[in-house]
Amino acid sequence: MESNLKSPPKLTRRNYSKIIRPIFGLLVFGSILWRLYEVLIAQQAYSAEIWVRLLISGLIIGGVYALIAIGYTLVYGILFMINFAHGEIMMIGTFAGYFLFEATKSINVAAEGSPPLSFSDAYPLISVILAFLVGMTVAATAGFFLEKIAYRPLRKAPRLVPLISAIGASFFLQNAAQLLFSPQVRDYTNPQAIARGSGWSLIINGSRVVITYTGALTFILSILLMIGLYVMVQKTKLGKAMRAVASDKNTAALMGIDVDAIISRTFIISGALAGAAGVMWGLHNGLVHFFVGFLPGIKAFTAAVLGGIGNIPGAMLGGMFLGLIESLGPTALGISYQLKDVIAFVIMIVILIFRPSGILGEVLSEEKV
Amino acid sequence: MNKEIIRSSSQKGLLFGIVMIFLVLINFHLMASTMISKLMGTNVLRGSLPEARFFIIFLVLYAIWVGWSAASREGKTIHKLFEGLFAGLIAGLTVALFGLLLFYMLETQTDIRKYLTALSFPSMRFFLLDMGELGILVHFGLFTLLGLLGSALAVGLRSQKVAHFKQGVKTAITNLRLRITNALPESVNKYGKYGIYLLLLVILFLLPTRWGSYYNFVFGMVGLYVILGIGLNIMLGLSGQFMIGIAALFAMGAYSVALLNSPIPHGLMWGFWPSLAVGVVMAVIGGLLLGLPIMRLRGDYLGIVTLGFGEIIRILLNSDLLTDITGGPRGVQNIQQPTFLGTPFNDVMYAYLIIVAMAVSIFLYYRLENSRTGRAWLSIKEDALVAQATGIDVQKYKLLALCVGAAFAGLAGGIFAARNQFTGPNDHTLMVSINVLSVVIVGGLNSIPGIILGSFALRGLPELLRELETYRLLVFGALLVFMMLVRPDGLWPASRPDLEEKGSPGLKEDIEPAEEGRSND
Repeated sequence: MESNLKSPPKLTRRNYSKIIRPIFGLLVFGSILWRLYEVLIAQQAYSAEIWVRLLISGLIIGGVYALIAIGYTLVYGILFMINFAHGEIMMIGTFAGYFLFEATKSINVAAEGSPPLSFSDAYPLISVILAFLVGMTVAATAGFFLEKIAYRPLRKAPRLVPLISAIGASFFLQNAAQLLFSPQVRDYTNPQAIARGSGWSLIINGSRVVITYTGALTFILSILLMIGLYVMVQKTKLGKAMRAVASDKNTAALMGIDVDAIISRTFIISGALAGAAGVMWGLHNGLVHFFVGFLPGIKAFTAAVLGGIGNIPGAMLGGMFLGLIESLGPTALGISYQLKDVIAFVIMIVILIFRPSGILGEVLSEEKV
Repeated sequence: MNKEIIRSSSQKGLLFGIVMIFLVLINFHLMASTMISKLMGTNVLRGSLPEARFFIIFLVLYAIWVGWSAASREGKTIHKLFEGLFAGLIAGLTVALFGLLLFYMLETQTDIRKYLTALSFPSMRFFLLDMGELGILVHFGLFTLLGLLGSALAVGLRSQKVAHFKQGVKTAITNLRLRITNALPESVNKYGKYGIYLLLLVILFLLPTRWGSYYNFVFGMVGLYVILGIGLNIMLGLSGQFMIGIAALFAMGAYSVALLNSPIPHGLMWGFWPSLAVGVVMAVIGGLLLGLPIMRLRGDYLGIVTLGFGEIIRILLNSDLLTDITGGPRGVQNIQQPTFLGTPFNDVMYAYLIIVAMAVSIFLYYRLENSRTGRAWLSIKEDALVAQATGIDVQKYKLLALCVGAAFAGLAGGIFAARNQFTGPNDHTLMVSINVLSVVIVGGLNSIPGIILGSFALRGLPELLRELETYRLLVFGALLVFMMLVRPDGLWPASRPDLEEKGSPGLKEDIEPAEEGRSND
C-alpha cells in the first residue's frame, strides 16, 4: 500500500517524445550553430554587401509570403479549413495584373508626330495603381465564387471533405488557366519607370547593392496592406464581426451577425490580399504562367502554420521569417542554394516540434477562452 | 410571374451562358463537335475542323440541359415552362453578346491568340456556325426555344405518372430477384458468395494475359494506388493522423529497390526480392524517424509537418548534394528486372505480382482492423484522452500506425520502381501524396471497396480517357469538387458500424480528435 502511494503508476514510462525531442532539438540546433560558426566566424566567406543583398531579397519575398499567408490564416481562423486553392487565387491576380499592363502598354498616348509612347510608360504610377486594383478585384471575385461554389455547401461536412474540394478547385483553376492562356511562360510587362533590375544603388565596401524599385514597392505596399488589414480587423465593425465569427459561429449568429456574409467577406479580403501579392510577384519576379501560384501557396501556408495558424500577426511574422530564412539560410549555413526549401522546412519542423501551435499560436487560444 | 422566379432563372441562364463561353475559350466545343461527328460516323481529319452541324447538335443538347435544370421541381407547370424559357433567353443573350464580340473581332481582324490561345480565326468562324452574323441569331434562337423545350421535357419526365412507372419497374425487378433466390436450392445461396470469389479469381488470373501491356500498365498503377491508399488509410482512417507526406515513404521503398538493383550509382545487384524487403524496412524506419519527434503534433500541424517531410525528401533526392548516392535529378535508370523461378518478369508477371501484393495488403488490413490494435487505433482517433484513460499507450499505437502504413507505402514503392525500371525525384512529388489522399477520401475512409473504386476513378479513368488528354486534369479537378458536394462520404462509404452511440454529437464532426485551438471554442 505504502509503496503504491509513493510510486504512482508509470504512465509516462514509454513517453518516447520526451526523450527524443530534446535529442533531436540539440542535434539540429547544434549542427546549425556549428555551420553558422564555420561560415560566419571561421571562414568569413562572405562580405557585408552580400548579406545586405540577401537581407533585402528576403524582406521582399517575405512580404509577399506574409500577404498570402494572411489569406490562409483568415480562412482557417473562421472555417478551420486549409484553403488549398489560395495559391491559384494569387495566380489569377498575377494574370489580371499582367493583362492590365499589356493593355496599358498597347495604348499609345504620344502627341501627333512624336515617337510612340505607351500609356504605361507615360503614366507609370496610374497604371501600377490600376494593375493592383484590377488584380485585387479579380482575385477577390474569384475568392468569393470559390467559397460560394466549392466550400459553402460543405460547411457541415467532416473536416477532410472541404480540403479535398479545395484540392479539386486548385486543379481546376490551374488547368483552366493553362487551357485559356496556354502553358507558355510569359514576361511580365513592367512600366519603363519600374523596369526590373533598375533601382537605387547603395555603395557598401566599394561595391554596388541595388534596391530595386519593384522590390521597394513590393515591400512598402505589403507592409501598408498588412497594417491596413490589422487596423480593419481590430477597429472596424466588420473586423469585430469577423473575430466574433472566428471565436464562435453560433453565438455570433445569435448576436445578429450574418455568418454567411462574414465568411464571404473573409474570402473576398483574403482574395484581395492574394491578388495584390500576385501582382507584386509578377512585377518583382517578372514571370507569369499557370503554375505561378503553387509554390508560393505552399510556402505561405507553411509560413501561416509557422506563425500559428489562425493568428494574423503570426502569419505576418511567419511570412517574413520564412522569406528571410529562405534567402539568408543557404548562404549562412554554407549550403547549396538548391536546398533553400529544405532549410525552410527543417526549421519549420523544428519550431513546430518545440512549439506545437506555432510561434504566436497561444495568443489565439487565450483570446478564445 | 413573381420576382423570385425571374431572379433564379436569370441567374441560371447567366451561369450557363458563362460556362458556354468558358468552354469556347478552352476550345472544348471543337473537341465535343469532333467527338459527335465521330459518333455519327463522319471522321474528322487531324488539324481540320468538324462540320458546323455537329456543333449545332452539341448546342442543342446544351440548351435543352439549360431549360431542364432551370425548371424547378415544384410549382405550377406554367411557371416551370417560363423558367426554362427565361433561362434559355438569358443564356442565349449572353452567348449572343459573346458571338457579337467575336464577329467584331473577325471583321476588324483582331488577333488575340497571344492572350487567349483558343481564339484563332477559324475557331471564331466555327463558333458563328460558318454563317457570320446570322450565326449570332441562330445561337440566340436555339437557346431560347430549346430552353423552353428542356423545361417542357422536365415537366413531362418528372411528372407523377413517370415516377409511378419507375417505381413499378423497380418493384418488378426486386420481385424477380426474390423469386430467383427462392427458386434456387439452399446450397447455391449459401455458397454463391464463394462462387463469385472464384469467378473473380479466374478473371484476375486471365485478364492480364488477355488485354495487352497497356492495360496491364494502367491497372497496375491502379493496384499500386490501392496499396498506397491502404497504407494511408491506416494512418488517416484508423488512427486519425493527418498525413500528407506519404510520397516520401513511397520514395524510400522505390529508391531502396532502385539503388540495390541498378548498375549506375553503386553497381549493387542484390536482386528484386531481398531489396523489396529492404525497401519495406527502410520505409518503416522512415515512418519511425518521422513519427518519433512529432508525436505531440495534431491535426493540421501534423499535416503540414508531414508535407514538409515529403518535400525535404524530394528536394534532397533532386539536389546535387546526394547525386553520388541517389543519382540526383536524373534518377536511377536501368533497374534490374526481378526473376521468379528463373524466368524474368514481363508485364503479365508484374500484374500478378501487384494483384498478389494487393490481396495480401487487403488481407492484412482486415486482420489489423478487427484486431486489438485496430480497435486501439479507432479509439485513439475518436478521442485520444479517453483512449489513454482506458489504458491504451497512445504514442506507441500512433507510431505503430505510422510504421505499418509506411510498410505498405514502401511495398508499393518497391514494385513501382522495378516495374518502371526507373525512378527519379519527379515520381515522388507532392502530387503523389495529394493523389493518394484524394483516392482515400473520394473512395471512402476505412472502406477497402471504396479505396479500390477511388483508385479506379482517380488513377484508372484519367489514363483511359487519354482521348480527352488536354481536358483530363480540368475535368478531374471539377469532378473532385462535384464528388465532395454530392457524396461527401465517398463513393463507397464504410459500412462498419460506428462504435460510438448513435446520435451522439461528436459522431461525424471530426476526422481527428479535438485539437489545440479548436478545443477551446
